[in-house]
This record gives sequence, structure tokens and C-alpha cells, in this order.
Amino acid sequence: MNTAEQGLARRTRRQLFQDCGVGVGKLALTSLFVGDGLFAAPAAGTRGMHHAPRAKNVIYLFMAGAPSQFELFEPKPELQKLSGQALPPSMLEGKRFAFMESFANRPPKLLGTRRKFARHGQSGRWVSECLPHTAQVVDDLAFVRTVRTENFNHAPAKIFMNTGAPFFGRPSMGSWVSYGIGSEAKDLPNFVVLQSGPRGPRGGAMNWASGFLPTEHQGIPFLPGGAPILNMSSPGGFQGQRQKATVDAILDLNRMNMERIGDPEIGTRIAAYEMAHRMQTSGPELIDFSTESQATLDLYGAKPGEKSFANNCLLARRLVERGVRFVQLYHSSWDHHGGPGESLDKDLDEVCLSADQACKALITDLKQRGMLDDTLVVWGGEFGRTPMGEVRDTVGRNHHIDAFTMWFAGGGTKAGQDIGETDEIGFQATEDPVHVHDIQATILHLLGIDHTKLTFRFRGRDFRLTDVGGHVIDPLLA
Amino acid sequence: MLEAVYRRIVLVVALFSASSAAAQSDGIRFFEEKVRPVLATRCQSCHSEALQTSGLSLASRESALRGGGRGPAIAPGSPDESLLIEAIEHSGALRMPPTGALADSEIEALRTWIRDGAAWGGPPGDPEAAVALWSLRPVRRPESPDVDRPGWVRNPIDAFVLSKLESEGLEPSPQADRRTLIRRVSLDLTGLLPSPAEVRAFVNDNEPGAYGRLVERLLESPHYGERWGRHWLDIARYADTNGYSIDGDRSIWRYRDWVIKALNDNMPFDRFVIEQVAGDLLPDATDDQLIATGFHRNTMINQEGGIDFEQYRVDAVVDRVRTTGAAFLGLTLACARCHDHKFDPISQREFFQMYSFFNNVDELGGNLSEGVGRSRMMEPILEFGEPEALAKRDRLRAQIESKETALVELRRQLEAAWDERHPPGDIEDFERAREIAAIPEAERSNLHVNVLDRILYEHEPEYKEIKDRIRELQKEIPRIEWTLVMRDLPEPRDSYLHVQGDFTRRGEDIEPGTLAVLPPLPEGAPRDRLGLARWLVSEENPLTPRVTMNRVWQRYFGLGIVETENDFGSQGTLPSHPELLDWMAAEFVRRDWNLKDMHRLILNSATYRQASAYRADAAEVDPTNRLLARQNRLRLEAEIIRDAALTAAGLLTPAVGGPSVYPPQPAGAGQFTQVDRKWKADDGPNRFRRGMYTYFIRSAAHPGLVLFDAPNAQESVTRRNRSNTPLQALTLLNDEAQSEFAGALAGRVRDHAAGIEDRIDYAFEVCLARPPRRDERDRMAEFLALMTDEFATDADALQTVGEDSPAAAAWTAAARVMINLDEFVTRQ
Repeated sequence: MNTAEQGLARRTRRQLFQDCGVGVGKLALTSLFVGDGLFAAPAAGTRGMHHAPRAKNVIYLFMAGAPSQFELFEPKPELQKLSGQALPPSMLEGKRFAFMESFANRPPKLLGTRRKFARHGQSGRWVSECLPHTAQVVDDLAFVRTVRTENFNHAPAKIFMNTGAPFFGRPSMGSWVSYGIGSEAKDLPNFVVLQSGPRGPRGGAMNWASGFLPTEHQGIPFLPGGAPILNMSSPGGFQGQRQKATVDAILDLNRMNMERIGDPEIGTRIAAYEMAHRMQTSGPELIDFSTESQATLDLYGAKPGEKSFANNCLLARRLVERGVRFVQLYHSSWDHHGGPGESLDKDLDEVCLSADQACKALITDLKQRGMLDDTLVVWGGEFGRTPMGEVRDTVGRNHHIDAFTMWFAGGGTKAGQDIGETDEIGFQATEDPVHVHDIQATILHLLGIDHTKLTFRFRGRDFRLTDVGGHVIDPLLA
Repeated sequence: MLEAVYRRIVLVVALFSASSAAAQSDGIRFFEEKVRPVLATRCQSCHSEALQTSGLSLASRESALRGGGRGPAIAPGSPDESLLIEAIEHSGALRMPPTGALADSEIEALRTWIRDGAAWGGPPGDPEAAVALWSLRPVRRPESPDVDRPGWVRNPIDAFVLSKLESEGLEPSPQADRRTLIRRVSLDLTGLLPSPAEVRAFVNDNEPGAYGRLVERLLESPHYGERWGRHWLDIARYADTNGYSIDGDRSIWRYRDWVIKALNDNMPFDRFVIEQVAGDLLPDATDDQLIATGFHRNTMINQEGGIDFEQYRVDAVVDRVRTTGAAFLGLTLACARCHDHKFDPISQREFFQMYSFFNNVDELGGNLSEGVGRSRMMEPILEFGEPEALAKRDRLRAQIESKETALVELRRQLEAAWDERHPPGDIEDFERAREIAAIPEAERSNLHVNVLDRILYEHEPEYKEIKDRIRELQKEIPRIEWTLVMRDLPEPRDSYLHVQGDFTRRGEDIEPGTLAVLPPLPEGAPRDRLGLARWLVSEENPLTPRVTMNRVWQRYFGLGIVETENDFGSQGTLPSHPELLDWMAAEFVRRDWNLKDMHRLILNSATYRQASAYRADAAEVDPTNRLLARQNRLRLEAEIIRDAALTAAGLLTPAVGGPSVYPPQPAGAGQFTQVDRKWKADDGPNRFRRGMYTYFIRSAAHPGLVLFDAPNAQESVTRRNRSNTPLQALTLLNDEAQSEFAGALAGRVRDHAAGIEDRIDYAFEVCLARPPRRDERDRMAEFLALMTDEFATDADALQTVGEDSPAAAAWTAAARVMINLDEFVTRQ
């Protein structure tokens, strides 16, 4: 063996993991290799799957701003009756809320909803008039009505939902999944982030950061319209053959150096350039909706080129079809405090209108294509909203962390059921409280990962997504 | 000082006998290094004092002896009779841990430990534990070892490295050639490429000491402070915005410039630390010393509505403790925020002692109401205004204040007469105002105040007039430059332990204090940040010089002597060359914390000068090259990739310091955060500044930085990843800035020579500091010919590239290839 061959032989395992940021992850599934080589901290946990997966991919519909469960999913007759009455102060003791000043001096009053509710589907799930399309697919959804989080401000709560910790620096769920099991996408990232609505999510890139995990596991935000990945288009004058010839020259010169020096890292760079060029050629096809039937476009309400949740849902399906492991869609804004642009009437209607049809379409489309069994769809915000009204320009609702609703579909979940019950005014859980760490543990479980085993040693501690908590929500599993 | 502690412990143990004392302390050392980590990571998640699964706690010797439902877990002296051993060896019915068997080495360690009597170290905070952890022992200055090949040794560093290599039967690599050396040293010390003229001069310098002179020249370059300053800024979590969701702008670039200048002036490291941690507390502190305290104002500030200011102030204080631990002590102090440190001898109480040093900063906190808080969001700050500007500002502020008083009076009058002016009816605004007016002023929330203000503004012309006038006055306030600094409150805040790390749960009162396992604060030393700062760099502190030297080493070799550069605790890795680390730490202190001296030592060592080519023979023995039988090839950092391209292109604006700048970034890069960040790229000289001056937005950092592993400035970072990904390839291939650099590099090459071969040679000289090899030259010539043909047959493409001849456009293509080469983005 000459130096270069020896280098190549050494490189194989290491290369594999450096590549699995975008690609080759299949191999990662069976490997128990720990640590990313020379410059990574030694890892103590096991990567790869710990048991047979129920879901291959995740589409996580993150409803940024926190949708009101009382207007969408939680009819509470008692709350209707008590509407206008002050909440007994005993219920506020020891609780902390956002904008606490606003009711520090006057106890807030309970607020019934103005929305009409009905039971839907064979399973008879409650959904309000705000979400007529979602109501049509309730038999495919499982509702968890008692999700509980720990932070009542948007950015920390989003970070908590994504990373299991309310402060910055921990890896996000998608990054953990990418690190743990890689993906089958050959020329796309493992973890893609899409965004729609009037503004990006609070906390920005920290929501999909890889924290202390190797950078290749960070979420890659796709841009709406045009080329989805930054710098995906060749510079002016260098399209097609000229770009290919350029990449070829780079590859050849790198190979010459590799032969002389033998550093496996050069091999990794060669692979990265090959994959980058493949991404350039496959990217336009990915976002080209002309291959979709008119019926599919209509189902989603997708209009090619538009920055919309509908387009993103369709794109999410196309990404998952191509093996992308974790797609997260942020849709804003659900922050209905009652101030301008935040009313529980007109403004809630507007955001529901922008999201409802595409949610149904995604479920329907995945099901029709036989993909729903393998794809876990998650819908929810960073917390819920209070049963009390909040008086601003109009009466809205404040942030509430003790109980709110999320729904799940496909990917090994048991559809057509409710998990958890809240008290008569929906203030907190009376049965089956579900912590954010439980949600995270369950998502990992469905992907074949034991949340207690997927760890990474950093600064002397083995960290995991669920910190020191988390239990798989058994009733949610099919 | 630590030795005194050590002696005291030994003395206590000596009540038994001198020899058993030694055995005891060896036993504890073994326990701390080999056993406690296994118990902590593999057993105590179930068998803790709190959980006691099956009635068993393995939290102390007593509880292990007491055992659980199945009887005692350990029988000191008799591993074969210990249930613990039976369980971990799977030799009986009980098989532990359930998550998977321990490694053989771990089982062996537990066996040895029980055989030798199952010694158990003290609880966290016990100075006895200091004896056990290597990093807490006093720094000694070891003699350099004897080696078989003394001729290779240029200074003591080499003796330590060579002696290890020889013990493994490895030869060091030959010295790298001069072209590699000048490129390596230039990139390591300044982050810029050497010019072809500099390369030539060095290669042709036949006088003795050519290399030493090169090192000296580069150490004197103003770009040295930039290169090494940026390393420090990673640790300081420097950024130009406040973080969290709003992530508004802040002004702290003067702190960045202070760091650059301090390093260029070779400020002694102890002073460098003291001024940053406590410059404001020095007698007659200068502006520069105040600016230096920006170090601990790089904490984030949450501007989101509806927050509890106190919560985020507490987080900032915690971040200061965490950063102090990472930057100077190599300890994971923040692990002890919620409970005693699980692995290291640091109690929660001690965490809050450290916390209380930083708890008195006069910054936004729970003592301020929403309105006042928002107006003082950034304080404390240091202002830089001309006296006239400051006077004008104060005058305007006074005017505004009096207008505001008038406004309040008017509002009260209007409220009192509200029913007369606006009899009850169905105009919503008037009814809202009536409701709010009925609430006593003291009980009104900010929301009430704001809503009422809006209504009055819209419906009461007199109110509007005053309000508009206030706004005009506000616009007249002159812009006064400022920077974030530290300043303490006259009366310290109460410090107390946060039960389980929750600041709303008040525990016992806490006074400022340092860690028991380290030498104490001297008698009479102030118990404030200044006392802390001096303690951090006191001669007795074993950690600060070790941690600092380890990090310097890491920058030159890719890995530190202690690989876990941020964890010198029991969970960190042991040093590969403990004596070398101690020698450097001792030398650093002996040389009065002179950083440039330490750079000189490393750079002049034979160890540093080795070739970096991969060696299969060495990799067999030492796959990760911990023993340094060669140098390591290191991918350049994010900023330096840009800087290298700027130098190759001949575009670099070499100005040092000043406000941050806006180089081009891909469209859409800023839109993935709550506040869509407008990014107007600079024209003119600021377009071509070094990467470290790029305006850093925490929530939407420049993608060219993030993709190449620049830290996100959320918290202190002591080592960057060096990833190697397809998205990096896309950036280097297609980014607008890269095209600009390629165009300029092509022009430079074309201007330099006429012949194809000469041009290729020059391009390699500029980018790689060496001429091409035969095969490389041929491949490049072939590529140029192909591209010339391509552009000759496609006039549109030619025009898009912006060149007038196909040959010129082909050179733009060739320049793109050059700045995409692996070797270009690598320090060899």
C-alpha cells in the first residue's frame, strides 16, 4: 500500500461520519462508531438505532407564537359559564406568567371562547370551526391535550421545545436525530428548516442549531422561492458544463495532493465537493412543482413560487420522499394577546386560514402515497394560552405553560384518540400530564432511538435531548 | 498554598501512621480518577441518595457498605465477596447496569479499588479532593528529560515531546520545507498569506537564524493582535447584537479593539485578565480599563416584551460564572448551579459564592419596572462624547423631562374632565379611556398606560402637540458613541443560593468566595471582582496558567495537551504530556505572563516545525497523533478563509479595528429570524475587511462564518469544530464574495506575467506559497484551454463574467479553482 491508499483505508470510518451530515447515513444506522475523529469530543452514548423504528422521517409543523387551544381544540363548558369571573387568586399562587404586570393588580377574568365546536370523524374528536379542514382528518390524528412546558417567554420556550433546555447551546431535536441515525438523502441535508408567515421564529438559528454536536448536523434553512439553499446557483457565466469542468479540476488537483500527503481529510473534502455538485443539479428539480398534478397543487392550495405554508407542506413531502430525515416548518404568528394584529377574532382567522387546508392536505397526500405510516407529523406551538382573558386593544389570551394541545399523525402513532384531560377550565392537567421532554422522548422512540442512550459528552457531562427527564408516551404508540 | 492544604490533610491522616496516610491518599486518588466517574455515569442515575433503587445508594462509602435489599454492595478488601462486582461481572443472577455492561477496564478498576480497601474521596468542596485531581496540584517546573537524539532538541519543549515519541519507538518527522513553514507561521500568527516576495526572501535567506527572524517579524505585525484576538473573542462570546429573540444592536466593538491592542502590545496576561474582569475597580480606572470590562458584558440581553428582567439578569450572571470557569479555570462551574457538581469537587454553595462576585453589576434587573427597565436596557455604558455634545444632550434631556411633566399634568386634567368632554356613548376609545381613568394611577399596568396614551394622542390636540414636541427634541439629541462596561451598584445586591438553580427559590445567604479546592483568597484581599481577578492570576493558582498554555498549544497543533481544553476536572481527559504542560505553565508565570515569549518558544521548537504529511507508521501506534510525530494539517477558521482569499486577491483592506462592517452576504440569509435583518453590503474599502470585522448578529450570523464553524456567541467557546461539509463547498464555489475574489486574483495573475506557465506558477505562488508540480501545472493548463474554448463559443457567458476575452475569463475560472483547493483552505 502506498501512503495514499493507507490514508484512504484509514479514512473510511471517519469519512462516513463526516459525510453523514448530508448523505451516506444508511451506513451510520448500523455503526456503533463513537466520536467524529481527531477533533471531536469523545462520545459516550451509542449512535445508530436502538430498536426497530416505527417512523423513518419527521415533519414537524411548528406553530410559532403558541396557538390557543381554547379556540381550536378544547371546548370547556364550565369556562364558558364562568366567563367574565375573576380567576380565584389561589390558582395564581406560585405561578409566573408573561406580562405579569398586566394582571398584577387586578386578578384576570376567565374568558370563554366565541368559537363553535363540534365533534368530527368516526372517532368524534372536538375541533372548532376555525379548522374545518383539519376537522376532516381527525381520525388520522392523535391529540395530546395536556402538554406542559417550563418557560413562558417565546424564545426560551421555543428553544426548550427544540433542544430540551431553555437556554442556548444545546443541540436541537433535528440535530440529535441527524447525529444519531443520519439520513438516506443522497444529495440533501439531513435536517431542513422551512419558514412561512409574517416573521421568522424568535430565536432564529438557535432553534435548529447543532450546539455542541458537529456542525454538519445543524438544520439547513431553505429559502422560499428560487434556489432553496444559499449559494446553490453557480455564479454568472459558470452554469452547466463550465461549473462541472471547474469542479472536476478542483477534484483532480485535490486528488494529486491527497496522493502526496495522504491526509484523509482531503478525501472528505473531495466527497464534499462531489456532493455539493450533485446538490446543485438536484436542487432545481426538488423545488420544481411542475411535476405535481394540478389536483395535488389544489389539495394543498400551493402556488409555485409563493412564500406560503401550503408550498412548504408540499415541499416537506418532496423532501421526505427524497430521504430527508427531519423537516421542520415554522409558521407564524399565533401570538394572540389581543393587541393590534393579535386578536382572537380576525387575526386568528387569518392564520388558521393560511394553515388549515395544507395540514389536511399533507396528511391526505402522505396517506394516499402510502407514506404516512413511515412519516411522523407533529403539530404544535411552544406553549398554549391562558383560560383567562388578557385585556389589550381587544381581549386576547396570555401565554400558558401548564396545559396545551399538540397533535400527532402517522409514523407509528395511534390515531383517532385524545391523550390527557385538563380540569374544567383547562388550566392544568387532571390526567396524563405530558412534559415537553416526554414529547421529545417519544419522537426519538418512534425513530428507533432510545432517548437515554443517544448522548454526547461535552464539558465532562453526557448530554441528551431530554436532559434528565422524559418518558415515552405509551398510549400514543400504535 | 495548596501544598499547605495537602500537608494539613496528610497531618490529619498521620494520626494513624505515616505509611497508611500515603496509602490512603493514593487510594483516594485512584478512586477519584478511576472509580468515581464510573459510579457517577453508570450507577448513580438509579442508585443515588434520592432514588435508592432497590434500597441501594452508591453515593458514599457508608451507603455502599450498608447496601440495599440484597445486602452490602461492597466488602472492602474482598472483591470476590462484593455484590457490586458480581453484578457488574454478570457472574450471578444480578446483572448491572441494565443499560449495558461496563468496559473491562472499568470492571478492573472497581475490582482494584475494592481490593485496596475501597477508599472514598470527600464530598464536593472538600480540599482533600484537590489532592486527587491532577489539575489542582501545584504547578512544578519539571526538568527536561534525557533523550536519545539530543541533536533534534531545539528547546525544552522538544525534549518532552521527543522523550514520549522515543518511548513509543517513533521518530519525529523532518522539518517542513521553508515554503510550508512561512505559510504556516504567517497563517498561525497573522491569519494572512505571505506575499510571493516574502516567500522568496525567506527561501533565499541563507544567513543563520532566518526562521527566528521570520517569527520575530510576524510577532510584531499588527495583524498578530487580530489573529490571536479573535481566538480570545470566541472565549469572550463577543457579538454585535444582544441575542434572544429581538436581538437588537449593541455597541461593544471598542472592547474587541482593546483585545487586539492589548495582544499587540504584549500586555502581560495577568494584567490582561485583571483589566477585563475588574478594570472598573482599579484605582483611577482609565477609559481603556473600563472598555476592557466589556468582557463580561458580552452576555446576552433579552429585549422581548413581557419578560421578567430578573430572570435574564440572573442568566447573565450565571453566564459570567460559566465563562470564568471555561476561560481561566477549565472547570465546568455551571454544572453546580442546580446541585453539587456530580464529578468535580465543587459544591452548589461555591457556585453561588462565585456568582455573588458578578451579582452586583448595575444592570437591568428585577428592581426596575418595565418602563424604566426598557429605557436602561444597555446600562452600564461608557460614553464618548465631546463635552459640547454631552452638554447639549443633557440640556435636551432636561427639556424633554419638563415636557413630560407637563404631559402628565395635562393627562390628569383631561382625565378629571373626561366625562364633560366625552359624555358616555358608544365611541370605543372614549369608553376604554374612561375605564382606565377609573383605575388609580399606581395600579395601572403599562398596557393601560400605553392604551390611554394612544387614545389621548389621537383625540386631544393639545396632548398631541406636547407629545410631538418631545419627539422632535428626542431627534435633536446628538448621537453619542458608547460601549458596554461593568459598573457595580453602590450597595451590593443580596446574594443567596438558588434552590435547584431556580432564582425564585431563595436559599441560604451567600458571601462572595472562591473554590475550596484552590488556594484561598489572600487575607485582606477585597471580596469583589478585583479580588477575584487577582486570585485568578495569582502565582499559586495552578489552573489559569495550565489552561492558558494548553489553549495556546491547541491553536498550534489542533488539539491541546489536555484534549478536553474546557474540562480539567475528573471527566476531562488526562494530559498527553503532563510534564510539558507544567513546564510551559511554570515558564509562563516565571516570565511574568509574557505571551509572546511563549509563542516564541513554541514556534521555534522542532516539534512545531515538523512536516505535516500523513505517516502510516506513526498512525499505527498513535492514530490521532497525540504524540506529535508530525504537525497536523488544520482547516483554516471561518474568518481566515476569507482573509486568505482577500490576500490572494490583493483586495484586503488591512485597517485594524473600528466599527463592524457589512461584506456582501447571500440574499435571504437574514430572514430566518424574528426581526428580518436588512443587510446592506458595504462598498469601498470596508467591503474588503478581514472576516473578524463582519457585523455579528447572534440570531442570524453571516452564513460564511456559521458554515465554517464560527461560534454563535451564545456562550464561551474554547475550541471550534473543524467540519468539512458540502455546504462549505457550495459557499466556496458559488458565493458572490468568492467570485469577486476570483476576479481580482485572475487580474493580478494576468498582470504579473504573459505566458500561461508563468501565470500558473504565479497563481500557485500567491495562493499556496509554492510553484505547481508538473502534473498540477499540466492539469491547470488543460483546464485553461478548455475554459478558453468554452468562453469563445458563448458570448453571453463571457459577458456575464465581465471579461473582454475568452482567455481572461478562463483565468477567472482558474482563480476560482485555486481558492477552492483543499490546500488553499488548509494550514499545512
